[in-house]
Amino acid sequence: MYRLVPSVCSYCGTGCGVLFEVLDGQLLKTLPLKTHPVNQGKLCIKGWNLHEFVNSRMRLQSPLLKVNGRFHDVTWNRALQFTAEKLKGIIEKYGPDSVGVLVSAKITNEENYLLQKFARAVVGTNNVDHCARL
Amino acid sequence: MKDKVRDWLETGKVDLFLGYKQVDGHPLPHAFSKENLAELGELIVSPARYALEKLATEILAIKPALKIGILGRDCNQRAVNVLTVHQQISPGQIQILEVNCCPSPLRKHAACSTLQPQTYGAVKLELGVDNNMSVAQMDQFDQESLYSRWMYEFQKCLKCYGCRDICPVCFCKECSLENNDLVATGGLPPEVPLFHLIRAVHMAGRCVDCGLCEEACPVDIPLRLLYRKVNGIVKDLFGYETGGSHEQPPFSLLGESTPPEAEPHSKAV
Amino acid sequence: MTNSIAEIEDAACVFIIGSNTSTSHPLIARRVLRAKEKGAKLLVADPRAIQMSHFADVAVNQRLGSDVALLNGMMHLILKNGWEDRDFIKARTEGFEELKETVAAYTPQRVQEISGVSPADLEKMSEIYATRRPATLLYTMGITQHTTGVDNVKSVCNLAMLTGNVGVASSGVNPLRGQNNVQGACDMGGLPNVFPGYQQVANPEANAKFTKAWGRPLPDKPGRTLPDMITAMSEGKLKALYVIGENPKLSDPDANHLKHAFNNLELLIVQDLFLSETAQGAHVVLPAASSAEKDGTFTNTERRCMRLRQAIKPLGNCLPDWEIASRLATAMGYPMSYRNAEEIFREMAALTPSYAGMSYERLGIDGLHWPCPTADHPGTKFLHPVQFTRGLGKFHAVQYQDPRELPDAEYPYYLTTGRMFAHYHTGTMTRVSPALDREQPTGYVEINPQDAFKLKVREGEVLVISSPRGRIEAPAKISPEMLPGNLFLPIHFGENPTNVLTNSEALDPLAKIPEFKVSKARVEKLVE
Repeated sequence: MYRLVPSVCSYCGTGCGVLFEVLDGQLLKTLPLKTHPVNQGKLCIKGWNLHEFVNSRMRLQSPLLKVNGRFHDVTWNRALQFTAEKLKGIIEKYGPDSVGVLVSAKITNEENYLLQKFARAVVGTNNVDHCARL
Repeated sequence: MKDKVRDWLETGKVDLFLGYKQVDGHPLPHAFSKENLAELGELIVSPARYALEKLATEILAIKPALKIGILGRDCNQRAVNVLTVHQQISPGQIQILEVNCCPSPLRKHAACSTLQPQTYGAVKLELGVDNNMSVAQMDQFDQESLYSRWMYEFQKCLKCYGCRDICPVCFCKECSLENNDLVATGGLPPEVPLFHLIRAVHMAGRCVDCGLCEEACPVDIPLRLLYRKVNGIVKDLFGYETGGSHEQPPFSLLGESTPPEAEPHSKAV
Repeated sequence: MTNSIAEIEDAACVFIIGSNTSTSHPLIARRVLRAKEKGAKLLVADPRAIQMSHFADVAVNQRLGSDVALLNGMMHLILKNGWEDRDFIKARTEGFEELKETVAAYTPQRVQEISGVSPADLEKMSEIYATRRPATLLYTMGITQHTTGVDNVKSVCNLAMLTGNVGVASSGVNPLRGQNNVQGACDMGGLPNVFPGYQQVANPEANAKFTKAWGRPLPDKPGRTLPDMITAMSEGKLKALYVIGENPKLSDPDANHLKHAFNNLELLIVQDLFLSETAQGAHVVLPAASSAEKDGTFTNTERRCMRLRQAIKPLGNCLPDWEIASRLATAMGYPMSYRNAEEIFREMAALTPSYAGMSYERLGIDGLHWPCPTADHPGTKFLHPVQFTRGLGKFHAVQYQDPRELPDAEYPYYLTTGRMFAHYHTGTMTRVSPALDREQPTGYVEINPQDAFKLKVREGEVLVISSPRGRIEAPAKISPEMLPGNLFLPIHFGENPTNVLTNSEALDPLAKIPEFKVSKARVEKLVE
């Protein structure tokens, strides 16, 4: 029912240890992890409010497909099928280097690993980059 | 301790018990319940303190029917008293299983916990305020020195609001620190010394001297000392000991029946 | 970072250049202030009078883009006074003579002409940095986001090597990374030229290793960087773009030019938490789970790989990015079936020498610093104790070059950009947070009080800022932190899109990083 889950802040590169307060599956608050070697039980204003973007009502909740200039909610199968077919078509027509993949400084190592693997092994291009410079 | 918590949970004295357990070498707050009695073997007393009564109050705000036990020191008990005085919780909603205490002038226990006083750099002692100082020691500085020392400390502030966010007795829905007419937003440091003095004023008759604010401060501002000073004034003037009882604080006169601000004297000019 | 965060506290000198540490890395600013209070000397070089400047023993405001001159000037004085570390130079470096010759021309007078820093301040800084050891050097985008970004980085490395401030605890060259996992994204091969662990795609051995592991022939020609992709988009060569957790429409320079490039795409896939400016233009949007809704690891600025743990279920139909990638790969005919993030971590660690000794169990809460090559390796707190990656450390003699744009009669102001303390990057995460939005609900332009006086503008009145690329409006924030003739725009606010003004053609030739930190601009009061 009530849990505190240790994690890492997802704002800047400092990597402060946080505790997420969870009640009945809802994120209540963020606390600093007191004994963490990086932040030693302290946080900045963004860290203290880390749960707020997660709980935002502006979050996307469903895959969206644009039809005639407007987005429509679709199932994962439909969204992924559309994406895969379009991508395959473009690769066939223009070659794999006509595709670019922007991985992210916000997602996990596992996900970055998988997405660059996707670009290199599935699409067949080294057009992989992210916003390290920005 | 474990037997007592087991008993509390089994007999229904509490529905939930907030204590600590070790996770990957870190003592973390953990909720024990009747459903996971087997976990009680892992219950520990933590040298790292979390405001368990604040966590309990947050849970109770959503689930008012619960009864919650917490592992607590004397400061937790004082905080529970203040929360009760200010009607954030009802008497008995939070039960405390007492453990040893850290040093505070407000403490009842003679024994201290494992907490060690922190050491601070020589430059801080020269320019700022030593967090380990007592109010009496601080009062020995002359006015000019006191002023410049506290200004130095406040100028370090990174405006994380951690002092407020971690505070077990900060529960106001509208916080004066967020009143744009009082404190300007958008810059660092926050207005010196307004931000800290506004908070200090609001801690009078409220602060339970747990010291969590100071532990949460990224730049080691001696907040505990500041609030001890204001609470000392409250004690001297009104004879009120914060958190010592369920007695209303002197400031509860203000509010709905008495306007918090003085009447304007426009005619007298 | 060559060194770890905690080590900063025990430095005898902290030199901050091009980092507004207290706003962008508050918990690192903590360590700097602790160091200062333990007796370290603090040097701050920044075009603005930032919060950290007030605590500095020497604080200077170098002209925007003049860092190479400033650093060469410091090295000039260090050599002139014999403050260099001759043993370190002899044993650990090469290219010293060339450096010496180059910096000889950077006399304090010349440095003052270029940077505006007085000879007295320059002398004090040089002496403190060289003689108070260990000295740690911290920088961020104020050093890198320049057409001379690589030159700037080379210069800070030169300075550290010249004084033997590398390979020792509490010293080092420490770029503070701006995004939670930008270190990890680079480590994992999120770059056009390398596989995970910086193994070159063009290296036949590395290519063969990954070809074997992934069961597909892999391209061995380095791909396009992000700025090159955008050029290829405008030229019609890049037809499809898959954007994960980024908002290039707001974060990249010259927004108007960018819009045309995006319009050329046949397929734009955006995977994000929010319908960002970039997602709004997508053909398909894939909703991703937040970091509280999944397991995985982040690697922070000090190379510490740490676990995040799922706290709650993904919102609605959101999926973790790894699961979306697996499903898309499967739909493309390359089956991926991972049960959890840990399985992916194991596969990655087996292919990445610097992560090879890590496992979820070992990471625990504290994490491990890479390189961590074996299961019994404790991780590496600071790099290069005995030798550099290439063996000897190379001094790269660097000449000062002006930024691409300098103010002129038409655009008389210097414009620089960056972050403020309550918001983050393009604001997608922070502007939806009530607490952070309350702290700063709108964009603004920071301007010096004298300039504001000249423009007859009061706090909050709207200014029009224009550059050769375009114009935006923003309320004035009058700030003594700014030098006269300088403007600062935060990058977080879509309705005051700073990057309409910045220059996409001013790139560092090697790193392709845009010169966000220096543009020319004009500013006027809005006439309604």
